[in-house]
Amino acid sequence: MAQSPPQSGQPPIQQLQTVADLLETPALARIYAYILQHGPTTVSEIIDEIDIPQGTAYDYVQNLETAGLVQKTREQRPYEYDAESIALTLSADGETQTITPALIAAVARREEDTDIDVYIERHGLDGLATVLEYAHEYVDGTVNHRITARELDLSPLEAEIILQALEPVATEYADAAA
Amino acid sequence: MTTVYVADTGVFVRCGGPDNDKFQRLRQALRQTDTSLRIPQRVYEELGGDPVADEYPSGNIPYPDGFEEGWIVVADELNYANPLVSTIMDETRRFIASETDRDEDSIEKADMALVGLAAQLLDTGRADHVVLLTTDKPAGGAAETLLPQHGFTDRIEFRYVSVKYLETITADEFR
Repeated sequence: MAQSPPQSGQPPIQQLQTVADLLETPALARIYAYILQHGPTTVSEIIDEIDIPQGTAYDYVQNLETAGLVQKTREQRPYEYDAESIALTLSADGETQTITPALIAAVARREEDTDIDVYIERHGLDGLATVLEYAHEYVDGTVNHRITARELDLSPLEAEIILQALEPVATEYADAAA
Repeated sequence: MTTVYVADTGVFVRCGGPDNDKFQRLRQALRQTDTSLRIPQRVYEELGGDPVADEYPSGNIPYPDGFEEGWIVVADELNYANPLVSTIMDETRRFIASETDRDEDSIEKADMALVGLAAQLLDTGRADHVVLLTTDKPAGGAAETLLPQHGFTDRIEFRYVSVKYLETITADEFR
């Protein structure tokens, strides 16, 4: 029986540092999310697909590789990279959140989607992680904005705004959540 | 054949603010065909009820323009004394509770109002056909499942309002 690959091959606390960088740096998160969805891929492909300056892209891919979140899958030029999925579960004061690739992808969109940015400003990354779970259900048709609003103490309008903003992420990462 | 279009909050959020192309496409399609969207009173309350939403680009919904220009209309009050309307609303609550695995008490009246309004329009002869435009899949499913059980076969249609739906909408959608 084949063993599943180790998640990033790094011990949890070291991984936490890189994940914190991903959550704070939307451009880094976008590169990680792109490699995860489309890898193996090259840096020039990444530059073509997402609007990031060339120098930044090379630096960030290097950072992700050093952190063990992406690996070189082709050792000759042009190098190709693939990403490991992450799932980092954190508990504090009885509350638990899991940092998933979908959450990283949602954060990655905050620069291009101001609705997500405003939601993070108002409710924090924990709030985003929680509503992202509702977004998965919203896509599946097992919840709507009104139930979300009631359960998360939002107005129905705010709930619908963030659910629609997260719909592309929840759709793209549907399998990952299953 | 009178077709009446009932619209939910999600349609207007999906428009993505007044400068957005999607809003202008929807507006143009409706005006070209002289069609108006009916919204239940509770949807009207959702659209205007939260000042916090103004902080969001998609919360800046120019729906008052729609009222001024006549392509958004607040629907008549629901007549709860009409046994069909009240029955359908009860069934909608049960249907959505079951679809979402929630307690019946937690199902909002706005959901029931969407399907109740469709029932009222059909029952009173105001509409031969109702199209429900929403992003609320449980409510859309309730409408398409329950109304045919009361004899309104082929007279209710749920259209899921996706980004693509609004990006490609034309007057043909309302003909």
